[in-house]
Amino acid sequence: MNDTISDRKPSLDFTPVRASREESEAVTTPSLTYSQDVWRRFKKHKSAMAGSIVIILLIFTAVLGPIVSSHTYYEQELDYANIPPLLEIYKISEDSYIYLHKHLKVIRVTPEGRLIERVKPLKDDFLKKTMLYEINGVEIIIDYNELPVVMHDTQGQQFEMTKKMNKSYLLGTDALGRDLLIRVIYGARISLLIALIATLANFIIGVIYGGISGFAGGRADMIMMRIVDIISAIPLTLYVILIMVILGAGLQSIIIALSSVYWVGMARIVRGQVLALKEQEFILAAKTIGVSTFRILLKHLLPNALGVIVITATMLIPSAIFLEAFLSFIGLGVSAPMASWGTLCSDSLEALRSFPYQLFVPAMAICITMFAFNFLGDGLRDVLDPKLRK
Amino acid sequence: MLKYIIQRLLAMIVTLFMIATITFFLMHAVPGGPFASEQKVPPEVQKALEDKYHLNDPVIKQYFDYMSGLIRFDLGPSFKFKGVTVNSLIQRGFPVSAKLGIFSVLAILVLGIPLGVIAALKHNKWQDTCVRFTATIGITVPSFVIATVLLYIFALKLRILPSFGIETWKGYVLPVAALSGYSVSFVARLTRSSLLEVFRQDYMRTARAKGLGESKILIKHGLKNALIPIVTVLGPLIAGLLTGSFVIESIFAIPGMGGYFVNAISNRDYTVIMGITVFYAAFLLIMIFIVDLIYGLLDPRIKLGK
Repeated sequence: MNDTISDRKPSLDFTPVRASREESEAVTTPSLTYSQDVWRRFKKHKSAMAGSIVIILLIFTAVLGPIVSSHTYYEQELDYANIPPLLEIYKISEDSYIYLHKHLKVIRVTPEGRLIERVKPLKDDFLKKTMLYEINGVEIIIDYNELPVVMHDTQGQQFEMTKKMNKSYLLGTDALGRDLLIRVIYGARISLLIALIATLANFIIGVIYGGISGFAGGRADMIMMRIVDIISAIPLTLYVILIMVILGAGLQSIIIALSSVYWVGMARIVRGQVLALKEQEFILAAKTIGVSTFRILLKHLLPNALGVIVITATMLIPSAIFLEAFLSFIGLGVSAPMASWGTLCSDSLEALRSFPYQLFVPAMAICITMFAFNFLGDGLRDVLDPKLRK
Repeated sequence: MLKYIIQRLLAMIVTLFMIATITFFLMHAVPGGPFASEQKVPPEVQKALEDKYHLNDPVIKQYFDYMSGLIRFDLGPSFKFKGVTVNSLIQRGFPVSAKLGIFSVLAILVLGIPLGVIAALKHNKWQDTCVRFTATIGITVPSFVIATVLLYIFALKLRILPSFGIETWKGYVLPVAALSGYSVSFVARLTRSSLLEVFRQDYMRTARAKGLGESKILIKHGLKNALIPIVTVLGPLIAGLLTGSFVIESIFAIPGMGGYFVNAISNRDYTVIMGITVFYAAFLLIMIFIVDLIYGLLDPRIKLGK
């Protein structure tokens, strides 16, 4: 072993570096500013990137969806009530296809799954529990004596069945025949609006309140924080419900209720940050050269606390969205015909057994949004404040 | 210690007084009385009704009446149900809600903490990934979505659990799962990260170096220190259980306080809303107080009363 190593001569592949000292010590990569560094780390954070992409897509759909869609959120088509996204299509003759609804409605469809019209029965025999339909000269008998319902022609021959996506209503319709997709998109608009309002309330009221309280200190701080204590002594949900009871249901009331109490968490955190920061030397330095209080607050304290503020604001968004959905679910939110994810979920409960898709569509929308904002918040925490990482 | 407890109790009473005042004036800021929304009644009947509930008194007098009632634990009559007092509603509803709440707290302790411990012990192994994955779902998915999806799967599709009522133990499974889903996940995640933090401490290495058994290290040195942040969040979590119960109780048709509260909201039954709010607030303040006391017992470094 030893001799093999000693046999090795200094490799000729290596050549001494002939560079001047200035050259070798030159900075080759430009130094990163704080925001560039944050952006670089953010790009590497997979879940945060995924979350923000989903949020951007969501914003695009919420803004553009209603413009592109041919349906409106209030237009009712009772003939097409409760139509699921996946249709079971029966071939009656060469060019006529029908869809048999769970409520024994027969709807003519195209082979691709587009709804044409509802067909009225020729005869409905309640005693024999059969229905007679005629489509393009073909007579069809629907026998609902036993479940599952049997459909056959006069000779007792059953029809060929294929499953097709619903092309007229991509995600189906609700109990009043309204397009579920467009209603979910309007729900996204409301949820994103709530997210925006909560963030604004946090940034404007929460940051200023907490900043003043922390910076002023003394008795002012004491009184301001006691007010916050009283507000947060009972859960915010309870307050918002109380305010909603007074203002009445509706989007406006949710916004007022949310912005009047939703900033207390932020105020506390900003106050804590400001308390810790204002004892630091750079604030003292700023004071000694005669910088005004307002300028110190704005130029020295807030930028240093900004990381924590952004993280808190993002983390509070999902709970605001949840609160709106929750209020709408218990009947305090937006009123009909406007749709929010909460009202869509609670509407679906009535027909959960027969039409579960009406629950799954808004439920999925809520879950995806909550996941996206949570991932974004976690990612921002990792990126902006590595000390908090766990 | 005694001084601290007295101080805290006094602060609680002041806070409760403020909350009651705020709720009272919020409720009275509503234009029109509680009977205004009903179908047209003759003015005499309207007046008789308002007289009966002292609604024609000046607001200040009503306020003092309400407050003196509060001191005697009398929350007044319900406006919508004749002959029913808010007290009797709470007496009927609270035991049911409390039972649900206790089961949920048990779920936190029996499921949440052990899951977090397992995840921390098997850091970065498949057990950890599983716990983290489920915990993320539990935290992000709203309780009413969990409730309705569970209802669909277990009560309607598989038909192994009832969809409403709590007559048998089976009836508790779905509501408790939906109610505690968030808290269990949150506690599991917190236990995991807090234990991992503790594992890195020097005293853990010292304990191991002394030759202590692994289980003793985990329980005496690891868990005892890791539990401190968990105790601090228990107060707000119980608050979450309370508000979560509003919707869970109405989905599963459980005759608890939450259901009464939601009904009172849709009936605009102001005394019931006020009464239940004040009751919730009192209950919560007591819970947070107890949690603070436990916190002091668990960590001798925290001096109560400072």
